[in-house]
Order: sequence, then C-alpha cells, then structure tokens
Amino acid sequence: MAHKLLLTILTPEKSFLTDKEVDFVTLPAFGGEMGILPGHISLVTQLKEGILTYKDGHKKELFAVLSGFAEVNRNSVLVLAEEAELAKEINEESARQAYQKAKDALAMRGKDLDLDAAQAALRRAVVRLKISELKKKYKS
Amino acid sequence: MASLRDIRKHIKSVKNIKQITYAMKMVSAARIKKAQTAILCSRPFAIRMEGLISDLYGELDGEEFKKSRAYALFAERPRAGTRALVLVAGDKGLCGSFNSNLLKAAAVWLKENRCEKIKVVCVGRKSRDFIKRLKGLDLEIAYEMVGIFPKAGYVHAELLTGKILELFSGPEVRGVSLIYNEFKSMLSQRVVQTELLPLRHNLPAAAEGGKLKDFSFEPERRPLLEALLPRYVGAQVYRVLLESQAAELAARMNAMEAASKNASELIDGLTLRLNKMRQTMITTELSEIVSGAEALGG
Repeated sequence: MAHKLLLTILTPEKSFLTDKEVDFVTLPAFGGEMGILPGHISLVTQLKEGILTYKDGHKKELFAVLSGFAEVNRNSVLVLAEEAELAKEINEESARQAYQKAKDALAMRGKDLDLDAAQAALRRAVVRLKISELKKKYKS
Repeated sequence: MASLRDIRKHIKSVKNIKQITYAMKMVSAARIKKAQTAILCSRPFAIRMEGLISDLYGELDGEEFKKSRAYALFAERPRAGTRALVLVAGDKGLCGSFNSNLLKAAAVWLKENRCEKIKVVCVGRKSRDFIKRLKGLDLEIAYEMVGIFPKAGYVHAELLTGKILELFSGPEVRGVSLIYNEFKSMLSQRVVQTELLPLRHNLPAAAEGGKLKDFSFEPERRPLLEALLPRYVGAQVYRVLLESQAAELAARMNAMEAASKNASELIDGLTLRLNKMRQTMITTELSEIVSGAEALGG
C-alpha cells in the first residue's frame, strides 16, 4: 500500500499543486472538517470556505479555500476550489483596505462607476478578510 | 499642388499616428501573453470538473435525476417563447474586424429569432451599444457588464453566471445562446455561436461505468450535482470570457501592426514626394540663376 497521498489543488485561475506527495490532508468539508490519510475510502464532497492543511513530513502548509469540491480516489486527492490561496500570502491589512475602498466606491455611486468591478472587488475583499480571520482562529 | 510645408505637416501627423498604433500593438502583445497563460491555467480545472460531473451524472439514475433541481438545467422547453442571448464583445474598438464580425453574427441570430421575445446579456461596451441602437425588435437588455477586459477574472464569470442562471430559472426562457470570439491562433479569431443552456445530454460519458460505485458522498449525490452544475456553467462562461479576451488582444495586435505598416508606407511615399519636390525647386532655382548670370554676362 502506498504511504503517500497525491494532492492536487486547482482553481479556475491557477493550478496550485499537481500530484504533490503529502502525508496528510485536512479538508473543510461540508459537514465539518475531514482528515484524509493514505488509504482513505473514496469519496466526493462539497467544500465550504475554510482552511485546508496538508503535511509533508514535518512541513505543514495552510491553504485558504473558498467553496468547491474535493474528490478522494484511491490515494489521490483532487480539490477543485473557486478560489484558493496560500494562507501566509494573505495580508490582513491590505485586505481591510481593499474592503474599505470597494465599499466607499459603492457608497459614492459616482457617475462613471464600474459597478461590476466594484462589486467583484468587494466580494474578493470580504473573502480575504474572512480567510485572515479564519487563519487567526486556526492559530490560536 | 501641395507645398513643401503641407507635405512636411502631413508626414508629421502620420508619424504621430504611427507612434500610437505601434504603442498599442506593443501593449496588446504584452497582454496577450498573460491572456494565453490564463487560458492554459483554466484548462486543468475545467477538464477535471467536467470529469467529476459526468461521473456523477452517470451515477444518478433517471428517476432520481428528474426529481432534482439540476434537471431543470437539462430539460428542453419547447413551448417557452423567450430566448436569451449572451453576447461577448470587446470594450474598445481599434481591433480590426473583431467586433464587427461578432455583431454581424449577432444580427443574423436576432433576425432568425425575431418572432420571439429576446433577452440579451451584454458583455463589453461594444455589444451593449449595438443592442441599444437596435430598434423594432422585441428586445430587452437583461444584464450588462462593461469594462471588464482585459482583466477578466473568475469573479466576473461568477457574476455573469449568476445572472444567466437567474434568467434561465424563469420557465419562460427556452434557452440561452452564446456568441463570442474564439481565440484560434494569434492570427485568426473565429466567431462561435453555441447553446449554453439547457445543458446538452451528451456530457462525455463516464469512462468506465460505475467509476464512483464505492464512493461515499457528502452531502448526497443529488445536492452535490445540484451544487456542481452551476459551477460547471461558471467554468464554461469563464473560458468564454478568456477566449474572447485573448482573441480581442490578438485582433488588436494584428490590426495595429497592419496600421503601423501602412503608416510606414505612407511616410515613405510622402518623403519621396517631398524630396522630389525639393529637388525640382532647387533645379529650377539653379537654372534661373544660371540663365540670369548668362543674361548679364552676355
């Protein structure tokens, strides 16, 4: 039996990991957090936003993922997320600033406002903030 | 006849235009690289997503499937009298026939379906302006999205998908068509017209029957598929946006390259004329001087 999991994390905009060998993965599954070890039963699950972690030897990485799906098939774990980000790459302060900026832009409703872009920016900022909060919670 | 000064002025203005077109070409060339990478990056996601959905779809038996909400996305609605069109054009001009070809195709489509009520989702300023100009059709702009290129991201696709699905959730909409430019290569774009919804039944069949037999599902299969399908549509819309974006940049690059070339030719021609004229003037002046001197000396 293989003793490693092959982890793949894909988002529409980027492939984060492809078939990376890891020891252990936790997924923010729909009904609660789910730990996956090699030899796990095959399953398909919906993910909600949360923290995905994986362990490779002593190295541990945190990923923030935003609603998506995961498929565990034999020893490969496939994560299809709408958005994912390495948790350490998220900067809470800049997220907060972006949030404020987007909010102001929407509140002012200037004549040449690009509504879609502003809304998209707001959504993104909200997500970032949520993730950074999650990260804090996870650490404490 | 144009004087020397006129020609010099003309040359200068052409040179200025050439500078602009050349700069635009370089900008497009730099951006297209990014757009192409975005397309490449979106591909694995779309492929795996499709695989997952077709596996799941194969798992559900017909009866159970018909009960689910997801079935509404597949069902044909022959009696509904409204059609929806998603028109993906560019925001800016100066890109050759990129927009005009697309709008021509849209006009043909509208003509074919003119006896029905049509709802249009416009992406890109050009398509919105085009639809607004049209008169005498039973048209309605359901949603417009302008100014997203060349920075279209998945968020835009999501927003758009939300609107499209909302539109389609009404029972009166028969189907959603899509007209966009496909990025075939750096040199050519193709106008593509497809049906986005209802989803076709010919999802690639699961490779080996019952691949997911021993799988456990969380939540159940049905809600899982219901949650997956909108995202599948989203992935498709995202791909379309990226294709159109890359195609626009490619079209602009070619158009601007051609424009720069034409400007160079024009400048060459004008310079030749300028020099000829200058030489004739010098010659006449010389001959005048010579003949004057001869008259004096003679």
